[in-house]
Amino acid sequence: MQKMDTLECHLVEKARNGDSRAFDKLFLQHQKYLFNLMAQLTGDRAWADDLTQEALILAYQKISSFRHASSFRTWLSKIAINLFRNKYRCRPRHSSLCLEELRIPSCEDGPERTVIKRELQWCIAHNLQQHIPKNYRVVLVLRDLHRLSYKEISEILGWSMSRTKTSLHRARQMFRSQFIDGKCKAFAENYLCICEGILDL
Amino acid sequence: MTCKKAKALFSELYDRELNEETMAAVREHLRSCRECREDYKSFRKSLKVLKRFKILEPPRAHLEKVNRKVKKELF
Repeated sequence: MQKMDTLECHLVEKARNGDSRAFDKLFLQHQKYLFNLMAQLTGDRAWADDLTQEALILAYQKISSFRHASSFRTWLSKIAINLFRNKYRCRPRHSSLCLEELRIPSCEDGPERTVIKRELQWCIAHNLQQHIPKNYRVVLVLRDLHRLSYKEISEILGWSMSRTKTSLHRARQMFRSQFIDGKCKAFAENYLCICEGILDL
Repeated sequence: MTCKKAKALFSELYDRELNEETMAAVREHLRSCRECREDYKSFRKSLKVLKRFKILEPPRAHLEKVNRKVKKELF
């Protein structure tokens, strides 16, 4: 479990006592993580914005109930993921995550490799959004994109350790099945994702 | 160890979440079973792909905008 550092503990205590500036600092520490988490789960920038915003508001309103039983990030993740799961039925039908928005970290590649990398990013996003059911997507994103421990994931989702392990395994198998085995037609017909070479980029 | 049992433990093997005895048994099975070895290789490869997923790096102005909205709602 990610332990709370002394400064964060101090900020949480101040925020619990109504210090809005302390909460503001906590916001800034976790806002980017929360936005990324929501964007990875929803595949929709506008929806990720809304969920991030709602989660932060809810966190502020509930901070007096935070008992240090987990890290602040775990607690915040739980709030945001519950929102995501509860509002999933009302999700936007068309994702706003488009190729142009995917920022490729390295600028040293030539244009061709940049395009391939961008397409790979799109394919992963597409696979997550279209082929991995909500609960499996959550566990996959928490473990493989944010490197949370099994214990943290169990706490966030309110699952037993056994369910977390089984779900993670199934989620990974689903992802592999769609991606590597090329079952997703979009990859095969329109993109280069199933090309072995891309794995070595 | 059977192939079915070994395959069910791929995730925990990958994450090194197995105890030493079970991990040794799965590794031994992978050494002796080509099909499972290839399957595990493909499993690892797919995770390597997934971990390349770099989502949006939100511009600072964007984060500030969300932050302002939250503050407006709260205070």
